[in-house]
Amino acid sequence: MKLLADMGAYLGLVGPGVPILGAFMFNSIYKFPAYKFTCTNVFTTKTLTDAYRGAGRPEATFAIERIMDELAVELGRDPLELREQNWIKHEEFPFTTVCGLTYDSGNYEQATQQAMELFDYAGLRREQEERRRSGDPVQLGIGISTFTEMCGLAPSRVLGSLSYGAGGWEAASIRMLATGKVEVITGVSPHGQGHETAFSQIVADQLGVPFEDVEVLHGDTQISPKGLDTYGSRSLVVGGIAIVKAAEKVVAKAKKLAAHLLEASEDDIEFSGGTFTVRGTDKGKAIQEIAFAAFMAHDYPEDMEPSLDSDAVYDPENFSFPHGTHLAAIEIDTDTGHVDLRKYVCVDDIGNVVNPLIAEGQVHGGLAQGIAQALFEEANYDEQGTLVNGTFVDYTLPSAADLPSFDTRVVSTPATSNPLGVKGVGEAGTIASTPAIINGVLDAIRHLGVTDVEMPTTSQRVWRAIQEAQGRSTQKTPVDTHSPGAGLGSIDPNNPQGEVQ
Amino acid sequence: MIPSKFDYVKPSSVADAVAALQQGGEDAKILAGGQSLIPVLRLRLATPSVLIDLGGIPELRGIREDGDRIVIGAMTAYHDIIRDDLVKQHVTLLAQATETVADNQVRHRGTLGGSLAHADPAGDLGAVALALDAELVIAGADGSRTVPASDFFVDYFTTAIGEGEILTEIRFPKYTGWGSHYEKFNRTAQAWSMVAIAAAIRVEGGSIAEARVGLTNMGTTPIRATGVEQALVGQPATADAVRAAADRVTEGTSAPSDADAAADYREHLAKVLTGRAVLAAAG
Repeated sequence: MKLLADMGAYLGLVGPGVPILGAFMFNSIYKFPAYKFTCTNVFTTKTLTDAYRGAGRPEATFAIERIMDELAVELGRDPLELREQNWIKHEEFPFTTVCGLTYDSGNYEQATQQAMELFDYAGLRREQEERRRSGDPVQLGIGISTFTEMCGLAPSRVLGSLSYGAGGWEAASIRMLATGKVEVITGVSPHGQGHETAFSQIVADQLGVPFEDVEVLHGDTQISPKGLDTYGSRSLVVGGIAIVKAAEKVVAKAKKLAAHLLEASEDDIEFSGGTFTVRGTDKGKAIQEIAFAAFMAHDYPEDMEPSLDSDAVYDPENFSFPHGTHLAAIEIDTDTGHVDLRKYVCVDDIGNVVNPLIAEGQVHGGLAQGIAQALFEEANYDEQGTLVNGTFVDYTLPSAADLPSFDTRVVSTPATSNPLGVKGVGEAGTIASTPAIINGVLDAIRHLGVTDVEMPTTSQRVWRAIQEAQGRSTQKTPVDTHSPGAGLGSIDPNNPQGEVQ
Repeated sequence: MIPSKFDYVKPSSVADAVAALQQGGEDAKILAGGQSLIPVLRLRLATPSVLIDLGGIPELRGIREDGDRIVIGAMTAYHDIIRDDLVKQHVTLLAQATETVADNQVRHRGTLGGSLAHADPAGDLGAVALALDAELVIAGADGSRTVPASDFFVDYFTTAIGEGEILTEIRFPKYTGWGSHYEKFNRTAQAWSMVAIAAAIRVEGGSIAEARVGLTNMGTTPIRATGVEQALVGQPATADAVRAAADRVTEGTSAPSDADAAADYREHLAKVLTGRAVLAAAG
C-alpha cells in the first residue's frame, strides 16, 4: 500500500495521524499473508485536513472494498463470494491480523447472509442481467461493502507506541446522593450522540436504580475536569466502560456497608435489582438506603470512609471491531448520467446494543454522510487555490429528499474485550457506505466500458465517463469555478459580485 | 452573516409602492417573497438603502379569470398557484413547473412576480411565461403598461421593468386541453435547475398541432425553443419524431458553464430532456 495523503496547507490537530490510523485497516476483514504500507503526507495549497467521522478507516475501507470488486471482475467471480473466500471465518476469532491487531469477535457470514436476504441480492442480480440484455437506458448496479473498523480509541500503550500526543483512557465518577438519586460525571461529552440516555441506562442497570433517577453531567471542566472526549466511536466502549468500572466500585462499597448494617458477612450479601440481601433470608436494604446511611454516617465500618462515591479511569486493552455488510442498488440513467440510489440495506454487527434507537440514528446519519461523499459533496478550488464553494449556499449537501429510506438492521456478536460486550457504532455508516455507492455506480456501467469515475460521481462525470468509454470524446468546456453564490441560481459573469437588479 | 443596515417601508397600495420606489432612488430594492433577495442580503451581495416590502398590498395577490386570460397577481405565492383550480385547468404547465421550485417552506413565501422580476435564468418560471406567451403588467408613476414575455427578459437579472416601476400582474392565455410537462434536471431535489424544459403540446388526431417549448438555464435569459416548436408541428407524437425535433433545441442558446455542468453537457441534457418533456406533454 502506497499512500499519498493531502494534509492541506498546514497541520491541524491529528492530521498526519489520520493515514496512520488507516494503515491498520487496509487488510480489513481479509486474511492477508503479507502487507507493506508506506505513506507520504503532502502539503498542498488547500484547506487543512483533519480527523472526520471515520478518520483513516473510510480511506482504507474504500481502497480495499474497491479492490475486491476489481479483483472479482478480473477473475470473473461474484464479488460477495470472493469476499467470503478471503475473509476471517467466524470460528477463527479471536484473529490476529497481518497488522498485529487482534479482532476479538465477529461473524461476517451472519451479517452478509442477512443483508443479502433483505436486499434480495439474487433477484436484483437477475434484474441487472435483464436490463443489460435489453439495453435499458436505465442500468442497475449493485454496490457492496463488507467493512470492519478499529474504533473505541484507544489502548494508551498503543497510542504511545505511535507517538500519539495523548493517552486513550476515559474517566468517570459516580456520586450517590442522599436523596437516592445518582450523579454520573463523564469525560466524554456528547454533541448529539445521546450519552445522557445511554449512560443513564447503563447506570440504572448496574446499580438497580430507576433510569430517571440518574443524571449525567458533562461538558464543563468545573463539573468534569478529566476526560479525553468524544471521537473515534469511543464514548460507549471506553467512556461507558469507565462508568461500569465506577459503578462496580460503588457496589463494592455499598456491599461492605450493607453487610455491616445487616449484621452479616460480606460473603453472604447478594446484590440484585438494586437491593442487597443476606443470602437465604428476606433481610435486605435498597442501594438508596445504603447511600443515605453513608451520608448520615451514624453507623459504618471502621475500615471504610462514609461515602459510596467512586471514580474510575478505564484504559481499554484492545480496540473495538464492529463490522457489517452494506448493499446498495444504484440506477443510472445512461442518457443523462443521473445516479439514483434506489435501495440501501445494511446489517451492522455492533455487539450488544444499549439503545437501539440511538444506534439506528447513528447508522442513518453516518450513511447520509458517507453517501453524500460518494454522490454530492466536494470542495472546489480554483487555479489560485481559492476555495470557491465555501458556504452552504453553494456547497452541495443532500437532503432527505435525495436519499432512499434506509433498511438498517443490527446483529450482535458480543465483543469479548469489554464487560458490556459493546462495540462502537458512531462511524460505521460513513466508513462503509462510500465504497458501497461507488462500487454500485461502476457495477451499473462497467459493461459499457467504464472502469472508474471520480468522486463525487455527479451526473456530469458519469455521463462523460460513459461517452469516453464508448469512444465519443466530450469537449470539456473550461468551467467558471469563480461563481460565488452559484447556489443562488446564476451569477452574471459581467457582474460576478452578484449585485442583483 | 447578517445584512447591512437598510430602511424598510411597507406600502399598502401600488401607488404608494411606486412613490416609495421613486423616492428611494437607485439603491431601493423591492422585497416580494424574499426567496432570492434575503440570501443575497445575508451574503451582502446586495446592500440596498431601503427595502420596499410589497407584502402589504392585497391587490397584488390572487388569481382570477378575465375573459380568455388567467390573471395572476405578482405577489401570489407559489403555493397558491399550485393549488389553484383555474391555473390547474387552463395553465397546467405553470402549476407543474411551480411545484418543482425549491421546498415547501420556500413555496409558501416565494412569488411568481418576484421570480420573474428577479430574472435568474436558472429560475423555473421564466421559461413557462415565455413559452406560454404571458403578458406582464408593469406599473409606474404614469400608469400601467403591458409587455409580452418575449420582450420582458433582457439579460442576466435584467428585465423590461424600468426604474421606478413595479411588476403587478401576469396574464396567461388559456391552454385548456393542452398537454404539458416541466422536465427539470438538478443536482439535488431542492437545487436550482441545471437545465429544465417547459413544454405545452396540443395533439390533434395523433399528430402535434401546436407546440410551445421554453428553456431554463440555457442562456442569459429564459429561451423560447422556436426551432423545436416548428419541427414538432405536424409530426406524429412518437419517440423518434420528437427526438429528431428535440435535436434543434440548442439553436440560439448560450449554455453557461459552471462547476455542476459545462456547456456541452447542458446542451446534451437539453436535447434529452426536451424529448422527455414533449413526449410526456403529448401523453
